[in-house]
Amino acid sequence: MSLAMWVATLNIVLGVVYTSYGLMTIVDLKRDWRFRGISHFGLAWIAMAFTCGPHHLDHGLQFATVGGNAGPLDLLAVVIGLPAGVTWFLLRVEALRGGRGDRFISGTPWWLKALVWLSVLYAAVLVASVATVLRHPVHFTPRLTPNVLLLGLYFLIGYYLLRTQLTNRTTLGGWSVSGVALTFVFPTCGVMHAMYMVYASTERYAIEWHCLLIDWLAVPAAIYFVWVVRNLSLGVSTDWNEGATGARLQVAVG
Amino acid sequence: MNHVPDERHQVFLKSRTPARTAWVHESRPVTRPMSNWSSDSIAVRAVASVRVVVAVAIGLIGSFLPNLGAREDAFFLIVGFVWIPFATVVLFASVRPNRRVALIGGPVGDILVLLGAQCLLPGASRVVLILYVVVVAFGVYTAGKHFATLLGAVAIACTALSQGLIPRSARLGAAELLFFSLALLAILLLLARSATLQDRVNARAERLQTKSDTILTHVASAVFVTDAESKILECNPAAERIVELPANAVVGNFCGDVVGLHLGERALDCSGGCAILKEFSESEAILGCELWRTRADGKRQPLLADATTVASASGQLEVVHSLRDVTRLKEAEEAKTMFLATASHELKTPLTVITGFAETLIRFDDIDRDTRLAALDAIRSRTRELTQIVDRLLMSSRIGAGAIQVTCTEMDVVPIISDRFATFAAGTHRAVTFMPPTEPVLAFANRDALITVIDHLIDNAAKYSASDQTISIEVASRDGRAHIVVVDQGIGMDEEQAAHCFKQFWQAESNDARRFGGTGIGLYIVHSLVEAMGGQIEVRSRKGHGSAFTVTLRRVDVDDAPAPSAGEESSIREFMRQIGVPERSRA
Repeated sequence: MSLAMWVATLNIVLGVVYTSYGLMTIVDLKRDWRFRGISHFGLAWIAMAFTCGPHHLDHGLQFATVGGNAGPLDLLAVVIGLPAGVTWFLLRVEALRGGRGDRFISGTPWWLKALVWLSVLYAAVLVASVATVLRHPVHFTPRLTPNVLLLGLYFLIGYYLLRTQLTNRTTLGGWSVSGVALTFVFPTCGVMHAMYMVYASTERYAIEWHCLLIDWLAVPAAIYFVWVVRNLSLGVSTDWNEGATGARLQVAVG
Repeated sequence: MNHVPDERHQVFLKSRTPARTAWVHESRPVTRPMSNWSSDSIAVRAVASVRVVVAVAIGLIGSFLPNLGAREDAFFLIVGFVWIPFATVVLFASVRPNRRVALIGGPVGDILVLLGAQCLLPGASRVVLILYVVVVAFGVYTAGKHFATLLGAVAIACTALSQGLIPRSARLGAAELLFFSLALLAILLLLARSATLQDRVNARAERLQTKSDTILTHVASAVFVTDAESKILECNPAAERIVELPANAVVGNFCGDVVGLHLGERALDCSGGCAILKEFSESEAILGCELWRTRADGKRQPLLADATTVASASGQLEVVHSLRDVTRLKEAEEAKTMFLATASHELKTPLTVITGFAETLIRFDDIDRDTRLAALDAIRSRTRELTQIVDRLLMSSRIGAGAIQVTCTEMDVVPIISDRFATFAAGTHRAVTFMPPTEPVLAFANRDALITVIDHLIDNAAKYSASDQTISIEVASRDGRAHIVVVDQGIGMDEEQAAHCFKQFWQAESNDARRFGGTGIGLYIVHSLVEAMGGQIEVRSRKGHGSAFTVTLRRVDVDDAPAPSAGEESSIREFMRQIGVPERSRA
């Protein structure tokens, strides 16, 4: 299979997975909104899933149908994001079917420590590769703006997730598989946008209007999401983070 | 410097309608960044949101416009890489009130972007002038007239500066510039005056509202405000606690349906207006009258109620009801009576024996040695009994006053239990079984407190079972905790008795037919000491089949809740958990 087909296939799989996050969240909202009220967190998450997923679908379908000069960095980015994204997806499916939806890893096993070093190595390889690509003439246009913004926003969400995982490790003495998977999803999404931007600025990829529109829609979605998280963390507003008992009490009497 | 309340220290008060809620500030003050700022958090947030949407929209439009020149490209790159991120930061900062970044940074960023537009998009100069006015007007509203004046001056300077940087053909005329400056000045003066007056009114209203809401929120009495038809308009958190319903299930309903007050055995009829005002004289209604209502669990809840009429803002008659739950007062009164009765009985019995033997020893000189020794032994035994009773009473009193402090260390509980078992078995010659485990059972405990707990539980088991019935003690280590179980085959308790057995002065038999004596504080002491060691105690019992008391103690001095191995069923809640959104309980 050619590089373009690999990029296409993996992007389509990721696109389906991320779009499924949005669908699962809609199911969640539909099921519980009468008990808990509307969730801004859920809406923001749906908005993100329905922009991130279609971005990958569009990108994948573009290569699958039109073909093109696929970049190896694009493949590298997708390959890393895929296991994390699929893991979280499978855990959520398990939870929806009444299963545990998470696994707890006691302590920090060797393979998790190795994962950190692999991530550092991955980042180094990526930076070196990007530097090589950017030796070609770079044409920076306003069309690349959403990719830069999404890179920053997804890394910010990844930072919030990582911070929570590190705190949990200290207090619980281990790691949540669901949390670790989710922590990897967002920065790798950011990396995917970065790679797309690198290839677009060197004119290896042509920026299609549909993908550009999706990316621009993803910007306010991600801002909305971070804003909601910040509000909830500061206690300025409450959402579905209110205790389940309290939320159900309201229904029982009202 | 003025002080304003911090939103982080808010308490919740349910407001007049179910849908509306009012946020009430606690009295803890924080220093306000600048003294003359007036701000409306909602407006600041709304404008910050609009700014982000506008910035993203301009960025989007810019990336779709074909054949842009270098100047236009530069402007849209500034919007994309500077203004959108900055507007996002301002939006995030606006979550908290009175943040400099939101109040000052937002308008300053806007002015700079407008300057960029004037320089890079000369065709948009006239539109930019109008936008300057909008930004300055908003500045007056959020950051005060001084800052807005500065902003206006900067806007005029920017406009003048940009005229030198753009082609002559695109420059504005002198009349246009003069008109713009005058319009800006007029708007500044007008809005500054309006904002000052509005601020004064708002500050006064907010002070009064905060004060009254804080009082209502923190007062221990339940407060219901009803209209003339007894429909509840407002209630405070204490009212929610008394009726065991959230405010939105209370407000809008009739007082009689929600509260259901009774006087004696008669339900009060609130349908024709407030029954308290009708039933009682004005002085009684104000000073309080004893009523009761039925709780969700079917029990009576004694209340001290009063009511008074007030006129609402619209001139309508409203009734303010205050209800104070006096259940605990009543219980304390009953407990005191019970204590006096049981303590006097328990103290009197050994004292009678001691007095009798002492008088015998004084009166008769010719008592033989064995009889004298038997009398002295009885006196000693009853004195020990008295000392035990007094010790228990003192400990109970210290627990009640919160004066018991227990310092715990990790220890093996098996030797302590073995020792207490041996002492009890030797002293009473009763059938007691205890199979000490071969492995140490470690627990985080205090030696003296644990001895008291074990002694009381064994005494209790002995007291409520026949002398030929076996008492057994089990010790085990399970799930990282130490479990100590004391089992008897005695009279046992029914479900309700078991639920109350750890209460102070409570006894299974509280009437004249008491067979077992005691002050009713042994299990209260046990419960208090186990809790003080961070443990738990529970009882399983069947009437006529005995009881089993299980003490569970922690292994280490940490909150060793088991690590979560399961995620949330809801994807939304799972994501919240993983991103660190704190779980909050309903106020």
